[in-house]
Amino acid sequence: MSAPAATEVALRIENIGMRFGGLWALSEVSFEVQRGSVVGLIGPNGSGKTTLMNVISGVYKPTTGEVTYAGKRIADVPTHEVCHLGIARTFQVVKPFASLTVRENVAVGAMYGRSGGKRSTRASFERAQELLEIVGLSRVADRPASDLTIPDRKRLEVAKALALDPDVLLLDEVMAGLNATEVDEALELLRDVNRRGVTLIVVEHLMKAIVSISTTIVVLAEGKKIAQGAPVAVLASPQVIEAYLGSRWVKRQEALKQIEAEREHAARVQPPDARP
Amino acid sequence: MTRPSTVATLRRIGLGGITGSPVAFAVVLVLMALLLAVPFAHNGYVETTFRYILMYATMAYGWNMIGGYTGYVSFGQVAFFGIGAYCSAVLSTMKIDNLFADVALACVVAAAFAILIGLAVLQLKGHYFAIATLGVGLAVTDIVSNLDALGGTGGMNISQVDEAHFSVYYYAMWLVALGAILATYFIARSKLGYAFVAIRENEEAAAVLGINPRRYKIAAWAISATMAGAAGAVFAAANGHLEPSIAFSPDSNIFPIVMALLGGIGTVAGPFIGAVILAGVNELLQRYFVNVHTLFFGAVIVLVVLLLPRGLVWLFGLRGGARAWLKSLTVNKA
Amino acid sequence: MQLLAQDLVNGILAGGILAVVALGFSLVWGIMNIINLAHGAFIMLGAYVTYQLFVSFHLDPFLSLPISFVLLFGLGYLIQRFLINWVARAPILTTFLLTFGLSLLIVNLALIVWTGDTRGVSTSYSGANFTALGVTVPWAKFFTLLVALAITGVMHLWLTRSKTGRAIRATSMDIGAAQLSGVRTPQIYAIVYALSAGLAGVAGTLISLSYALTPTMGEPFLIKAFVVCVLGGLGSVQGALVGGLAYGIVEAFATQIDLPIGTQHISGSGLQDAIALVVLLIVLVVRPTGIMGKATA
Repeated sequence: MSAPAATEVALRIENIGMRFGGLWALSEVSFEVQRGSVVGLIGPNGSGKTTLMNVISGVYKPTTGEVTYAGKRIADVPTHEVCHLGIARTFQVVKPFASLTVRENVAVGAMYGRSGGKRSTRASFERAQELLEIVGLSRVADRPASDLTIPDRKRLEVAKALALDPDVLLLDEVMAGLNATEVDEALELLRDVNRRGVTLIVVEHLMKAIVSISTTIVVLAEGKKIAQGAPVAVLASPQVIEAYLGSRWVKRQEALKQIEAEREHAARVQPPDARP
Repeated sequence: MTRPSTVATLRRIGLGGITGSPVAFAVVLVLMALLLAVPFAHNGYVETTFRYILMYATMAYGWNMIGGYTGYVSFGQVAFFGIGAYCSAVLSTMKIDNLFADVALACVVAAAFAILIGLAVLQLKGHYFAIATLGVGLAVTDIVSNLDALGGTGGMNISQVDEAHFSVYYYAMWLVALGAILATYFIARSKLGYAFVAIRENEEAAAVLGINPRRYKIAAWAISATMAGAAGAVFAAANGHLEPSIAFSPDSNIFPIVMALLGGIGTVAGPFIGAVILAGVNELLQRYFVNVHTLFFGAVIVLVVLLLPRGLVWLFGLRGGARAWLKSLTVNKA
Repeated sequence: MQLLAQDLVNGILAGGILAVVALGFSLVWGIMNIINLAHGAFIMLGAYVTYQLFVSFHLDPFLSLPISFVLLFGLGYLIQRFLINWVARAPILTTFLLTFGLSLLIVNLALIVWTGDTRGVSTSYSGANFTALGVTVPWAKFFTLLVALAITGVMHLWLTRSKTGRAIRATSMDIGAAQLSGVRTPQIYAIVYALSAGLAGVAGTLISLSYALTPTMGEPFLIKAFVVCVLGGLGSVQGALVGGLAYGIVEAFATQIDLPIGTQHISGSGLQDAIALVVLLIVLVVRPTGIMGKATA
């Protein structure tokens, strides 16, 4: 198979606006997601990230604009067919099928997801076993899903989403509540998934995690897109800094720099006090 | 430690899972085999009793499919039972007295009816469905009682085979029950069974994984209607006479629910075991305390819900004995 | 025209009772997310309390209203505290079945105590009517309507003005916020359920004035309560009132229907449950949020 076309667009998000009552949670958000990339979606609390995820995955119908995937408008597709298009997602509040085992949970996705129609029960369970090994849950495969720890539940969410054979995987705060080691493991898992050809859109609060994994970063603030581009550049951009830390912080930083510059200048003119 | 992977392999390919304890299932099959011998006792009372056990077991399997596996409680199975019963009666007036025809027609009509009503009612969540089924049960009773074409409140008669061949009704019921058991087994093992359980556990998550909730809920209800209808058809033929108060008796609504609950909802063996135990108890009660059986069943429901919500089959499969059981009781406290 | 007016009035009279029937049911459903299948049984008990007091002590039914309220309130409190509370966080299936079982228990105990014979409460004013504008109005039903309206009014005031009432409404809107404000949820649940049982008892008393009593009389009212809630919306007094009146009127007209089927005519009066079901289905399909909007699943 030839290398995936680097400029092929998987998802097109055009002029999305989402209004709840009198409040516009999102307005004029547009960007494209390249196939095979990892898009990090960041922004301060309340900037509309989860709302956007809900729009992209078809949970919400946007007030304006549209999200298209493979030529189809997602808003037109009923919930149970979104995965058949090739889009899967994890949810922030994880609720597995409690009385089924971990393996059975994933198997359900394998049975009814995109390739499900062609899979027998047996094949679905075998696929589930494969996926459990990829995410690192094979040791608890036969336990009821209700028994799992939080990090394991997150892994289960990812496994279930992968069982749908998606082209695009939306991950909503998958790393919330994980400690540092667990975050590193999760990042490794996501990189592995991406290497297998799945395009990722990741919503996360952990800057370090996002930067280390994303090929592009999209920044939302107050429902609008304020920056998009390569991670380091975006994070250094003044608008982004201002969005996160506020304009007063920015001004204070500038004032502090000014004071520092003046102190240096003064030190060159006069030797510093002998005292340290 | 554990024996190597027969169990693990079985689990890996999906067996054992939502069918419930395989041991219990084996017990059920053995019991069914034994029940074949009943007519040879040449005791009419015994045969009738066991015929009723098989009938209630079938209906319990029906309820189990929609209420147990899919989690959509139905209080209206009596409607399908009655419809199936009247199918036999109607065929009899057309001079068709063939049990196969009776059951076949009952299955088709009951399923069609379930699909029709289900299209309206199953797009909504469990609350609405449950009460709607209550209404369906009562409504169908009302309507049939008022239709002169079906004999009104006086009912209809069904011509029967002679005394010597009466056991044919027993075997017919046995076959219907076997059908229900096997159907449940194969469905539970299949993708369909998992769709039902997924809907029960979390309908929205199931939809996200590609399951069309409405389609599968209707399928579950149609299957449960078929079982109830088949039981009704044989019942009517065996009874010889049918009127609304018999065809649509509240017992037909309540018994299957209690039996499935006690035996174990969402398992293959549960409804049968529940039916055997409770029908047996019911017989005893009838002998000594007439009219107390519904009271008793109400108490059983309350006790089972509080103490044994997953039923006996679960209890037998539970590791950890009494302590694990006691622990499970406080899990849902406010 | 005359007939239409009579039907309308009959509908309103019946609707008042239905509003009280539905009110408790709606509160429990809206606030605790429990569909109380024992509601019909509570109604029946209220009616039989009135009957027994009437037969044993010649107590006028209207005077037994507070008694049946208190008795059923107590029963509801006990049931909630010791049974329902135990499975409060279980899936809905569980509370469904629990209240279903309770209903069976209560109804069958009533069967044992009072037998299945139909009974009635016949007071001196039982058959009396008055006529206004060409419409016949039974006195008993008229007073019932007045009492029903009074009760809904009192409940509305209590829910909006009293401290407990406001706590209840807060819980139904946002349980987290309510708890943070110091509302103790288990207390609230106990009160709501007990209150609902008390209201059911009151409804039963009112019903006993105009309808026959049997131990299974509660079941049709359970379904009607459900339909009224769907029609009028959950958790609100106005909803129960509007829904109740609306359903009462619909039913009054629908029972006049005379359906020709084949060579037979079916009269609507025998088809009350079918009517309820049809109304329910129509509303659910056409306007799932009900007349007043905002029913929750």
